[in-house]
Amino acid sequence: MTTTTSALAHPASPLKRITSVARLHFANPWTTLGLPWIILGVIFVGMLTIWGLIYSAIDPAERAGALEGTQFSGSSFFIFVYMMVVAIQAISITFPFALGYGVTRRDYYLGSALAFIVLAVIYTTGLTILAAAETMTGGWGMGVTIFAPIYFGATIAERIFVQFVLFLFFLFFGSAIAAVWVRWKASGVTVFFIVVGALLVALFALTTLTESWAAVGATFVDLGILGVAAWSLVLTAISGVAGFVLLRRATPRNAA
Amino acid sequence: MTSTIEVTNLSKHFGKVNAVSDVSFTVAENKIYGLLGRNGAGKTTLMQLLTGQDFASSGTISLFGQSPVENAKVLQNTCFIKESQRYPEDFRPKDVFKTAPWFFANWDQDFADHLIADFRLPLDRRIKKLSRGQLSSIGVIVGLASRAPLTFFDEPYLGLDAVARQIFYDRLLEDYANHPRTVVLSTHLIDEVADLLEHVLVIDEGKLLINESSETLRSRATNVVGLKTAVETFIGTREVLHRDGIGGLSSVTVAGLSESERRDAKAAGLELSPVSLQQLIIQLTRTETKEFEASA
Repeated sequence: MTTTTSALAHPASPLKRITSVARLHFANPWTTLGLPWIILGVIFVGMLTIWGLIYSAIDPAERAGALEGTQFSGSSFFIFVYMMVVAIQAISITFPFALGYGVTRRDYYLGSALAFIVLAVIYTTGLTILAAAETMTGGWGMGVTIFAPIYFGATIAERIFVQFVLFLFFLFFGSAIAAVWVRWKASGVTVFFIVVGALLVALFALTTLTESWAAVGATFVDLGILGVAAWSLVLTAISGVAGFVLLRRATPRNAA
Repeated sequence: MTSTIEVTNLSKHFGKVNAVSDVSFTVAENKIYGLLGRNGAGKTTLMQLLTGQDFASSGTISLFGQSPVENAKVLQNTCFIKESQRYPEDFRPKDVFKTAPWFFANWDQDFADHLIADFRLPLDRRIKKLSRGQLSSIGVIVGLASRAPLTFFDEPYLGLDAVARQIFYDRLLEDYANHPRTVVLSTHLIDEVADLLEHVLVIDEGKLLINESSETLRSRATNVVGLKTAVETFIGTREVLHRDGIGGLSSVTVAGLSESERRDAKAAGLELSPVSLQQLIIQLTRTETKEFEASA
């Protein structure tokens, strides 16, 4: 029998280490891909049923007018907010696991960020296909809007940009919350939301006191959906950096 | 002899609690170390510090000659299996074994497959549906098959039955013989692992009490059994670690004996027997605590 010394393992390249972490988030894709699409599917079927009932209940002459309102549908908005939950879950379940595998926090965070960008691409692609199907079928045969509501932009390119950027925002905002959770658990998250809440109230108060609501409104109108989406990248970047800084000093603890 | 781990004056405080206080030791390459101590003694904290999972309050740690904190070059050579290791809930054991090779350059899939069969681990069941023992066996399999040059096992076998624990010890020893590596094993089942350990570190309340090779440690004490009067005559003013007796018989644990003393004892009709590592550590820990209290 030959005896070999386990020499130090051949160092993996930084890219290999980061992609390995990214793959970890897809090793069992239930959390990151399975459940969100199922939820979206349920919403889709539910919405179709409701619109279908309304469609069949109203006079054919008034249908177009009645269902025009669905272009303001918020039904697909849920999937964006849910991405925040996905990010929190993905990080809180894989962080202690990956560190046991000898992964550094830096590689872990960069790998997770890569996974989140991939998720944003996948979900934007999915929604774009569904929106295209919606347009091709004339609003699922009833002229209703579920996947291509007006506020995601007028053209396909605009919608892709807005949706991709929104997915990124919610994923990275979620990863910042996850970092707070991993580091300080429930008490940290509570403090985090109190601080965020206080900041929002302060912002509202400031706007009200300086009587600038009109100016704020005008700014948003001027920016348009594309401008607002572009500016959200600033918040996304802040969240991403904050998540990194917080996770850098986090220790996997036993208590859930 | 190279040391894989060098720890100097390491301390870790959580508020006012000193989880690890002023600990210094080295771990030699390709040996099996036992990190022993009572619950809450600081074993897990120490291992978390060594693997860069936690941050030292003061002191230095060097693994393979470098600080482990956020050091990918060092950490990718380590594997840390915790008693309470958490796995992604939706994972199945097969997902764990699918992902592990991405992180461990020396991963041996054949070995992992053998271990899975040995431990009768169901591969398709979700992590959250596994029993405590099955969860532990995942950790044991990852820890062994990863063949990381430096492997930490922190109470790896909670819930494992005696047969499974024996399988773990046997496989560890076999594989270690063919693929030498440094192993640090923390446990309170001391007697079960006694034959496995080449060196023993005992910590209590964050302090390092014992840092000795198993051999030296065993020679530190002997049980002397015989008639009470003969035993008392023999021990004289010797340091007694432990005393037991029934009727006219007495069993006394004394500090190490020389060859001539052993002959004297046998001539006096006394029986000498080795002290089990567990007994020894319990007795030494008590003594050192007493000494510490006396000096305080």
